[in-house]
Amino acid sequence: MLQRAACQLLQASRLVAPAMGNLALRGLSAAPQPAEDADAGPSTSGGGSGVIEKKGIALRGVPLYLDMQATTPMDPRVIDAMLPYMTEQFGNPHSRTHLYGWESEEAVEDARKQIAGLIGADPKEIIFTSGATESNNTAIKGVASYFKDKKKHVITTQTEHKCVLDSCRWLQQRGWDVTYLPVRPDGLLDLAVLEAAMRPDTALVSVMAVNNEIGVVQPVDEIGEMCRKRGVYFHTDGAQAVGKIPVDVNKSKIDLMSISGHKIYGPKGIGALYVRRRPRVRLEALMSGGGQERGLRSGTVPTPLVVGLGAACAVAGRELQADLAHVRRLEERLRTGITSQLQGVHLNGPADPARRYPGNLNLSFAYVEGESLIMGLKEIAVSSGSACTSASLEPSYVLRALGVEEELAHTSIRYGMGRFTTDAEVERAIDMTVSHVNKLREMSPLWEMVQEGVDIKSIQWAQH
Amino acid sequence: MSAAAEVRSLFRAFLRAGKHYPNYNIREYIQRRAREGFHDAAKLTDPSAVKSLLELGRQELEVVKRQSLVYGLYGRKFKNVLELDLPQVQPAGKPPAAASL
Repeated sequence: MLQRAACQLLQASRLVAPAMGNLALRGLSAAPQPAEDADAGPSTSGGGSGVIEKKGIALRGVPLYLDMQATTPMDPRVIDAMLPYMTEQFGNPHSRTHLYGWESEEAVEDARKQIAGLIGADPKEIIFTSGATESNNTAIKGVASYFKDKKKHVITTQTEHKCVLDSCRWLQQRGWDVTYLPVRPDGLLDLAVLEAAMRPDTALVSVMAVNNEIGVVQPVDEIGEMCRKRGVYFHTDGAQAVGKIPVDVNKSKIDLMSISGHKIYGPKGIGALYVRRRPRVRLEALMSGGGQERGLRSGTVPTPLVVGLGAACAVAGRELQADLAHVRRLEERLRTGITSQLQGVHLNGPADPARRYPGNLNLSFAYVEGESLIMGLKEIAVSSGSACTSASLEPSYVLRALGVEEELAHTSIRYGMGRFTTDAEVERAIDMTVSHVNKLREMSPLWEMVQEGVDIKSIQWAQH
Repeated sequence: MSAAAEVRSLFRAFLRAGKHYPNYNIREYIQRRAREGFHDAAKLTDPSAVKSLLELGRQELEVVKRQSLVYGLYGRKFKNVLELDLPQVQPAGKPPAAASL
């Protein structure tokens, strides 16, 4: 029906102004029209794609998106599922007295089932939050508040997401002991180190399943086993893992897990927290109010966002193996493409493909300046380190925890590939990376010295 | 229509609908995924599995058609750098003379 209406619209525009048919339809479009002749740069072929200018940088087109760890585009199936709840089915799911509320509640409960199905949980164990950051905060602060008289210790790693580290710092300010476990140079947590750190008064262990900066997959099965044996809650930040690698909360003995909508081709502003019911995980709520979500998270549940998250999880469940195979193939191509044409490239993360999520490729390029490299790669959208820390000039704390040297940490580039990345984009990324690194190295006297065989570290730099 | 003929016609419909999707990444995804999906499904023999997959396929085809319109209305007007170098894709229904920005 929608198609017929749209076709009629197109017919009408064609009848009205055949020569300007395109412009008539453009009048309907919501996107800001490109600035016409006034300040457009040199026009290129055919359709006249103007120059995009932002922050003083001119682009001839939209960059290729290779930053899937920062966020992902919404899958069209997700948008399709959300639109009815953003147009006519707009009810509050907590309204009990009319159709708007009933259909909204039904949609929320269906979404809950879809999310639970992806991780092997029961729908009653899923709480909707505003995102993985809120889920992480709720898990850590909520467990700590519940056990504040009985337990005193929390364990986490140095490579966790900022919200986990910050929540732990908040706990430290309130008298809790927090152990930040070091990781091995490849990013993996040493289980012996974890075991040694556990105490009788440990309330919670928080280790993220897949790291957002280097893609390392932690051994959650073994960690879960260890925690269950000692009666310690195991929380994992599953934002980069859920829907990308198989996750089963029962197999891995996970007690609390954070899920993020916008990392799995769902909407931004929604997430979920898995809270185990058997054996029951005790948690104090962070958000006070009407007692929604089993009293653990008050506030109106945003139906369109929740439906989007549910649809994203359902699609991810069906597409997981296909996506994983696709991303693996692309990663192989990208990594070998770059390393076969360039020397001095270091992989940040485990070399073993079984221990790294292939969609996350973090490479450091020696003898190249980091800022210049990123500015030069303006036709692909990549990130160096994590979006959370890119505001400051500090190199990523995750790379520092791995023991990566300062200079190498500064020149790290993270390529994020996903469901919608194409082979052509990867080829273009290889070409651009190789050409820019070569261009920068040609200008570098340090590189010249390395080529001549001089060992940079043995140089005694003269003090002026 | 036999199941095999239905499947073939659904596959062709997918490729046809996907060819005009306004967004480069999703367009490529549809082409690739439809090929992979139908290729894998060809190995299925259980008729009820085939029937449920056909139903899923029909629903997803409708999604492609609807979202193709939505992306056409709300999508960017600038092409991505790869598309600038590839031959222009004509969105369905637009007059071929004026390529959209």
